[in-house]
Amino acid sequence: MPARVLNNPLKNPERPYLAIGLEGSANKFGAGVIKHLEDGSTSVLSNVRHTYITPPGEGFQPRDTALHHREWALKVINECLVKANISMHDVDCICFTEGPGMGAPLQSVALIARTLSLLFNKPLIGVNHCVGHIEMGREVTGAHNPVVLYVSGGNTQVIAYSRQCYRIFGETLDIAVGNCLDRFARVIDLSNDPAPGYNIEQEAKKGKRLLSLPYATKGMDVSFSGILTAIEAYTYDKRFRADGLPRNSEDQDIITPADLCFSLQETIYAMLVEITERAMAHIGSKEILIVGGVGCNERLQDMMRIMAEEREGKVFAMDESFCIDNGIMIAQAGLLSFRMGFETPLSKSSTTQRFRTDEVHVSWRA
Amino acid sequence: MSSNPDWHTITIHVPFASAKHAEIALQAIQVDRELQPHAVKRTLSVEDDVLIATFDTLTVRLARLTVNAYLENVDLVVRTLQEFGPIAAQRPAPPS
Repeated sequence: MPARVLNNPLKNPERPYLAIGLEGSANKFGAGVIKHLEDGSTSVLSNVRHTYITPPGEGFQPRDTALHHREWALKVINECLVKANISMHDVDCICFTEGPGMGAPLQSVALIARTLSLLFNKPLIGVNHCVGHIEMGREVTGAHNPVVLYVSGGNTQVIAYSRQCYRIFGETLDIAVGNCLDRFARVIDLSNDPAPGYNIEQEAKKGKRLLSLPYATKGMDVSFSGILTAIEAYTYDKRFRADGLPRNSEDQDIITPADLCFSLQETIYAMLVEITERAMAHIGSKEILIVGGVGCNERLQDMMRIMAEEREGKVFAMDESFCIDNGIMIAQAGLLSFRMGFETPLSKSSTTQRFRTDEVHVSWRA
Repeated sequence: MSSNPDWHTITIHVPFASAKHAEIALQAIQVDRELQPHAVKRTLSVEDDVLIATFDTLTVRLARLTVNAYLENVDLVVRTLQEFGPIAAQRPAPPS
């Protein structure tokens, strides 16, 4: 087939565009304002987030999370407008997360988005959460056509773009990688503040012992639930010391919570690196973009970098402000589709818990 | 009233600051379907500045759950209107 020159379907805007994005598919409520300029550049005017943090040992339930969003949404939206120094009248469209995510929190945020849309007479744009992560990652890092590793508390996918679709190469067969980490943090009573994954990462730095765990990649897919069971089983091992300290000077053969965090991270990140490497080989790309909440884990980034260097590739990763769920990514993906003429009619603006990444028509890319 | 005598009927009147706000609330809430359409029938309407909701439910439990969820939604819409309504009214014709 002759090489085709692909024209970018997205033209530079004739005037600056502003969009506000509202995100609340999990335990964070975020709002952000993004601006697209005539020269094709993008600037983040504000990015505000409030996280619902549960006590150690507890996860977040849909109902309580929705209550959190309902309580905080208006404060966060106001703060985001003040920081961006704009009024709601100035935005071109109101973007919100259509799915995937937890039903009650999604519905609460959509209700606010609808009310604002009607009140200010602005078009509504429903955004796929995963596509939001990918578009923000591409914008922030400047990655061209990367293999995307999307790792968070609810999703684990290896994605590559082809013909106006983000295609899923591989994904988790059961729970997400972040869910595995969060639930293990609960088992060893780590704090959920600022995030369980962050506390596991800090704890893992003190780990000395690599314990054997199942390694579960299946073709392009991965599985984490068995690993979670296996690591939990170590906490019942007679060598396990919950306080991490030996009982006396003879007590040398012990397993500490830090060792478990270290072993868990090494095992599951190795699996992710493996499927990402395979996806790179498939599509012949030398770029890797890591997005999603787990993506700000530095150990994962380091391991990915080692693999990428061996293949003469490059890793693009972000810090927590763009990696962890945020409103600005919804604004970014929403504004891209709005500029292509997309709009979500009010009657179609209900949310959905299941909305796969590859269901979205990526009209703004060649 | 429902055609079926065994069903439970609840009607709720919520007055709003203006007819426009009541209409916005109706449109915003109307979009989400009831989760159990075979057991809950919802009718929303606006009369002047009052939002009127009528629920016909199969069981008392469903009546309680549905009305709770509805009132939570109304509360969220009302607070949003309260917060942003004055700003929205400042510039009635939005710039294109």
